[in-house]
Amino acid sequence: MIFVTVGNHYQGFERLVRKMDEIAGRIDEKVIMQIGTTEYKPVNAEYFDFDEYGKIQELNSSSRIVVSHAGVGSILTALEQKKPIIIVPRLKNFSEAMDDHQLEIAEAMSENHNVKAVYDVKELENCLTKNLNFLDESKDNLLVNSVKNYLSSIT
Amino acid sequence: MKICLVCSHGGHLTEILKIMDAFEGNDVFFITYEGMRANGLVKKYTMKNLGKNPLRFLISIPNVFHILLKEKPDIVISTGSEIAIPVFYIAWILGIKTMFIESLCRVKEPSMTGKIVYPISGVFLVQWKQLLDKFGKKAQYWGNVL
Repeated sequence: MIFVTVGNHYQGFERLVRKMDEIAGRIDEKVIMQIGTTEYKPVNAEYFDFDEYGKIQELNSSSRIVVSHAGVGSILTALEQKKPIIIVPRLKNFSEAMDDHQLEIAEAMSENHNVKAVYDVKELENCLTKNLNFLDESKDNLLVNSVKNYLSSIT
Repeated sequence: MKICLVCSHGGHLTEILKIMDAFEGNDVFFITYEGMRANGLVKKYTMKNLGKNPLRFLISIPNVFHILLKEKPDIVISTGSEIAIPVFYIAWILGIKTMFIESLCRVKEPSMTGKIVYPISGVFLVQWKQLLDKFGKKAQYWGNVL
């Protein structure tokens, strides 16, 4: 199952939803979409606007791969569920976001094995047919340890 | 130690929850926005989304004073976004320590909230080294939530 998510952002993401709906009509694999405020309604896939975070985590967990806007929350959620994620940055000139800051996270995550940034939705179908395996590189988190040490120092 | 965690909903909340292990063994409460995500938190105070609404910012001030005077946290920690602004300034007035963590999505450019709370934050962290240049000497990189 492919889980598509556009996050909590108040603007829709028609460019992604439309393309994934088109792809869902061609492939055998089930597609479920969280479309937020996107006005376009899919015809080839099950969809909903928003749901409780627990349900979103479950959908991430039961998916093979996640296709998402390049929002940090959505990225962290997929990685936490150990799912590879394709991220499509929202762009200002398509009225998908207030600015292009999602391009920054897409570029910054380009070294991460489990995250693939796609800028042109025409490339999505090609990425989905490849079997992206999740590389579990979990290790001690430096930020957690640093904050813990700081808190001990001020006790 | 009593820790006050301040964040808006969505990704900012997800980020702070990723580092909850850092607060183990301490008494934690949240100040966050109303909504489905907040319902899942054990101890929290919620308010309406401040957005860019000056009236809501003003109304939040007595509310935040009340919370901080009642709870007396040892430190206020936030991942943003704008909800951090009233809480950090009031914490500063009350002499409560603060720590601000710029969001993971801020790679090259600081957030508006980051710029506003930087002057009065006790500890100011960025999650990407390249962002250090955009702030003064106080900014530090201690890793990120990934």
